[in-house]
Amino acid sequence: MDWDLFSVSFVAVFLSELGDKSQLAAIALGGSSKSPRAVFFGSSGALLLASLVGVLLGEGAAQVLPTHLLKGLAALGFAAIGLRLLWPREDEE
Amino acid sequence: MPNSPLNPAPDLPKIEEVADSEAAIARANREVAANDAKPSSKFSAKSPFFRVLVSTFLTILLAEMGDKTQFTTLLMTAESHQPLVVFLGAGSALVATSLLGVSLGRWLAARVSEEAIETAAGIALLAIAMLLIGDMLDVSL
Repeated sequence: MDWDLFSVSFVAVFLSELGDKSQLAAIALGGSSKSPRAVFFGSSGALLLASLVGVLLGEGAAQVLPTHLLKGLAALGFAAIGLRLLWPREDEE
Repeated sequence: MPNSPLNPAPDLPKIEEVADSEAAIARANREVAANDAKPSSKFSAKSPFFRVLVSTFLTILLAEMGDKTQFTTLLMTAESHQPLVVFLGAGSALVATSLLGVSLGRWLAARVSEEAIETAAGIALLAIAMLLIGDMLDVSL
């Protein structure tokens, strides 16, 4: 096991993710959701899969993902959850 | 229910017991009906845990695809040719930042009202959506 490489990738990724939008999303979702555990598992799983794809692409070939489309879809998803949280609740009307 | 030794016919329930159990059944039926009629609070679904898991997973996965962290792991792997080590390092960092994020969210939620945290979370998520749209436009220009 190459512990130098392990430490370098840990520190690099940890610093670049600290305060990044995924962590902001984890704070927002974890704070407002009734199941913070589900937010943790969902967020970790997604980030692990994204970095796995990064590693596989690094070993393999070029960028093949339609990242524009994916980011657009993610923006829609976050906006939908955000609006649902901001929407006045029925029991208050 | 305890049968008194003075009651020689334990098979036959007493009238009060029958009435009690009928009342209990009626009560249980009313509760079931109330639960069926009540829409689940936030992510209207049968299992809130599963809904939250899936929506969090999908939105964060889509947001991270092609993002700088993924690019970092891509470059490090291309340089070192040790995909497993890079994945383990990056993966443990990502689990740690997720745990920190969710914990900070819970910490905040315990200190302010539910309404305030929902408003703040809603605004934060809309801001993230705008950041993502900004990312999209930057790359395409």
